[in-house]
Amino acid sequence: MLFLQLLANGLQVGAIYALTAAGFSLIFGSTKIFHFAHGATFAIAAYLFHFALAGMGLHWTFAVAVAAISAVVFGVLLDRFMYAPIQRHEGSFFTVFVASFGIGIVVQNLLGSLFGRGFMSVATPLSNSVEVMPGLYLSPLNGLAIVCAIICFAALHFFLTRTFVGKALRALSENPELVRMFGLSPRRLSTYAFALGSLLVVPGAIFTAAGTGINPAVGHHVMLISLAATIVGGIGSLRGAACAGLMIGVAENLAMWKLGTQWSEAITFAILFFFIIFKPSGFFGRATVS
Amino acid sequence: MTAYILNLLVLISVYAILSTTLNFIIGYAGIFSLAHAVFFGIGGYTAALVAMNVTPEFFVAIPIAMAAAAVTSLLLALPALRVRGEYFVAASLGLQVLAVTLFSEWKSFTGGLGGVIGIPAVELFGFPVYKPWQFLLMSLICLVIIIAITRTLVHTSFGRSLKAIRDSESAALASGKNITVIKTLSVVMSSALAAVAGALYAFYMSFINVESFMLDTSVLVMAMVIIGGTATILGPLLGAALLMLMPSALTYLTFLPQTEIGSIQQIVYGLAMVLLMIFRPGGIVSSHPGGGK
Repeated sequence: MLFLQLLANGLQVGAIYALTAAGFSLIFGSTKIFHFAHGATFAIAAYLFHFALAGMGLHWTFAVAVAAISAVVFGVLLDRFMYAPIQRHEGSFFTVFVASFGIGIVVQNLLGSLFGRGFMSVATPLSNSVEVMPGLYLSPLNGLAIVCAIICFAALHFFLTRTFVGKALRALSENPELVRMFGLSPRRLSTYAFALGSLLVVPGAIFTAAGTGINPAVGHHVMLISLAATIVGGIGSLRGAACAGLMIGVAENLAMWKLGTQWSEAITFAILFFFIIFKPSGFFGRATVS
Repeated sequence: MTAYILNLLVLISVYAILSTTLNFIIGYAGIFSLAHAVFFGIGGYTAALVAMNVTPEFFVAIPIAMAAAAVTSLLLALPALRVRGEYFVAASLGLQVLAVTLFSEWKSFTGGLGGVIGIPAVELFGFPVYKPWQFLLMSLICLVIIIAITRTLVHTSFGRSLKAIRDSESAALASGKNITVIKTLSVVMSSALAAVAGALYAFYMSFINVESFMLDTSVLVMAMVIIGGTATILGPLLGAALLMLMPSALTYLTFLPQTEIGSIQQIVYGLAMVLLMIFRPGGIVSSHPGGGK
């Protein structure tokens, strides 16, 4: 029964990881910006959702809207006012990474100062667990997270394959020069990528705030997972990032069957380490490495 | 007051050793490691173990600590040989997270979360060094020696090969450089010297636990290197001094809420990293003004 319980938790966590990792992978794949502050976007969305719902007592639809708007605004602002100036003069991987990392530190500490450093979670009617089988507790949130992830992936797939902007984003990840030649602005497309990528963290942020709870360092954790999932899945492959995110979520939870909770992050990185050394291109990635 | 200043100076010199050794791989080898605190920790724990069970002699404990870090650093060298850039950052992060879990779980070596208590004072040829100014002198001498070593290495053919690999791995390979050996050696060197800082820290504090060797420390040391200036000798020293002095300087600003000093310090250096990357990517002491590697 413990196994089933852990599997159910793993699937929920995995669905959230998959969405967040897909957001990071979308941004990184199309703009080549190593957006380490993606975790900060997650933390902001989660905290503002919590604040709107519990602090201001708004209806949950408004709280979701607040989370979504703040995530998108934060992502786009970073793209416009931080990444764009850096890319204008040089934009080596190193410079972008350090700036992004710096913003992550700032956001984490601001949230800590504003909302406190402890764990917070907001109770919703949906968070209550019911015993469906002896020893197996499920809450509506478990199922909702998975359904929501499936809907988001379907929408994302539709967007990337059927709409003009979606196709342009895919083209940008293939060949930015050709996109410019075709008369599209990579800069403007980059804004779309950031908006969409940041939007993808919102379901995860909300389910985490309503479920296991959040603390200011949550962004860091989320970022580590997205990074691991993106690399294990193969850089530039959304499908890969999603599968790897799901796999990591399940593996992390199943590991608790035999090991203590403190090992869950270590498991993720053992998987990542293994991939980097033996198969750096990931599941679906292309062969290029350096 | 003197005790306070001496304490600060000892900590600055310990962190200056860390930033100098990290700069060696970030600035010259282009290996962007977020796992430097791991080797700091291994140095500390090993030196503590040797001092408590064998002898607190400087010339025994430090070489053993360096050897332990050098051997473990092969774990970092392995991914560094396989991949670059973002992949390597992720791998080093992974190593850091794994190490923290191990540090807090491996009780016989690290004392678990409680840490190692009662590390004896270090001895130099049998004479214990416990007065703060003696300790400061010792750590400053270590710092000077380590700076001299890295400076010499950078100016030899080894250093030039490193920079060549940093700038273009395929070009270096084409001109007959043995990339595997050069990269591995640079990681091993840097980690072994970082262990010296760990050992000094353990002897100085006489108590260590996992809190000092977490990701936050790696990030802090990285910030020192970047804010000071990569690929320079002065930069990491300046960075270490600035970031270590900042919390004490902030306590003088009485209008700031004193409980938030830690957060404010992190916010300041986070912002400094962002602004420097936008306006002066080479750091304060920049080796290439207007845009660096």
